[in-house]
Amino acid sequence: MTQSDPGRLGWWARLKRPSAKHSVLALAAVGFVGGIVFWGAFNTGMEATNTLQFCVSCHEMRDTVYQEYQYTIHYSNRTGVRAICSDCHVPKDWTHKLIRKIKASGEVWGKITGSIDTKEKFEAKRLELAQHEWERMKARDSIECRNCHSFEAMSPELQKKTPYKKHMEAKAAGKSCIDCHQGIAHKLPKGYKKPGTDDEEE
Amino acid sequence: MKYQSRMIAMASMAAFALAGFSPAALALDVEAAKDLAEQNNCKQCHGIKKDKDGPSFLKTAEKYRGKANAEDEIVKHLTSGKKVKLADGSEENHKIVKTMPPNDMAQIKNLAQYILSTQP
Ligand code: HEC
Ligand code: HEC
Ligand code: HEC
Ligand code: HEC
Ligand code: HEC
Repeated sequence: MTQSDPGRLGWWARLKRPSAKHSVLALAAVGFVGGIVFWGAFNTGMEATNTLQFCVSCHEMRDTVYQEYQYTIHYSNRTGVRAICSDCHVPKDWTHKLIRKIKASGEVWGKITGSIDTKEKFEAKRLELAQHEWERMKARDSIECRNCHSFEAMSPELQKKTPYKKHMEAKAAGKSCIDCHQGIAHKLPKGYKKPGTDDEEE
Repeated sequence: MKYQSRMIAMASMAAFALAGFSPAALALDVEAAKDLAEQNNCKQCHGIKKDKDGPSFLKTAEKYRGKANAEDEIVKHLTSGKKVKLADGSEENHKIVKTMPPNDMAQIKNLAQYILSTQP
């Protein structure tokens, strides 16, 4: 990929060359910090960071996960309650929001370095990115899901029997939504197997 | 370039060879079928060779082996959500398979072919 992109190759080559290192690195650092500030300004100044539009302003998000999300129930459903990117990915409380924001500086860095700027690169990195989100959600008992859903509010009459039974077992066993509900808003990484679907093939 | 066109020729030959084994016209994409089944939680109720709440994919493949309408039957099953009986005797509507984009028949047919191609 990089080979066929002379522009980027030049950028990297220059970055790696000792003589030019300072100025270019300084430039990158300024861009990096600037990006964080930009991200932060949006986030605190107004809730704009949390809007769908902000998240999909980067093609890395727009051309990939956003496309899939549009086909899912959280985008469009019977009752018209939409869960947007930030509902699932940005914590509501201040401290965790800040942590997420600092981690999000990795996204600014990723943008600068082009970590997922092609479909191929995205697919190659997808499992890793998904795992970060699974870990993050698991660590807080899927709080983002539970801002809207809860085991308590599930109706034994209205929910299908199999899920209802699973949910009551899960509640008793202290399981979290994300243990079972992976790939609800996006495609799963290619070839990924969910845990627990014991599989006798191969 | 020469290498590339040879690869294309080889790939299409392989595709024809594969298609030759099944009555369907398109080559089966096993990876895509597996990913679709994973995304839809099918394996919660179906093993490849093991019965769970529903019959194993092998059992379904054997049930339809040699039948001309097999693929259509499976596609119908996966898109209509008819009532099925679970192992514990309770009934519920069968899962309707979800694709991205919605109702992509090519993906659903591919999944049906994959199920029907299960070998012991
Ligand atoms: C500046 C462009 C840009 C914007 C705006 C952006 N992203 Fe991203 N995002 C990226 C890039 C690039 C990556 C890949 C980072 C990497 O390679 O580690 C990424 C990765 C992610 C990940 C994976 C996180 C991880 O820990 O690996 C999630 C989740 C995500 N973005 C969600 C969002 C959400 C939600 C928003 C809106 C609040 C958003 N993004 C806005 C560029 C962006
Ligand atoms: C902003 C609120 C909101 C958030 C946050 C949210 N959901 Fe939902 N969820 C909904 C709504 C609304 C529906 C659709 C209900 C309907 O119309 O049947 C839904 C539907 C679902 C469904 C049913 C899928 C189907 O195909 O029938 C699952 C499973 C689900 N959510 C899991 C999750 C999980 C897991 C999370 C956390 C990662 C989450 N939700 C976060 C509001 C939310
Ligand atoms: C032990 C695994 C497990 C856990 C944990 C779990 N679920 Fe589920 N859930 C399922 C299964 C299995 C289904 C039915 C299959 C499907 O469509 O995914 C389901 C279905 C659903 C549905 C759709 C119900 C319907 O009637 O169609 C919603 C909504 C849902 N889950 C939300 C949640 C939320 C929110 C949490 C966390 C509070 C959660 N689940 C935790 C296994 C689980
Ligand atoms: C209903 C909750 C929900 C919504 C809404 C949602 N996501 Fe996600 N997202 C998840 C979960 C859960 C994961 C972890 C991987 C998985 O299970 O698919 C994830 C993973 C990701 C990843 C990592 C790559 C991957 O596919 O695993 C990115 C990037 C991302 N989301 C961005 C976004 C953006 C941008 C939006 C809005 C357009 C969005 N998400 C909306 C729940 C959600
Ligand atoms: C809640 C459990 C459950 C889930 C989830 C489920 N199935 Fe089934 N499935 C069943 C049961 C039970 C039957 C038996 C129906 C009968 O014999 O009447 C069945 C039957 C079938 C059959 C045989 C149909 C026939 O004509 O003989 C196929 C094929 C099938 N399912 C595929 C799938 C696929 C693909 C998925 C995922 C999209 C899926 N199932 C999800 C429970 C489930």
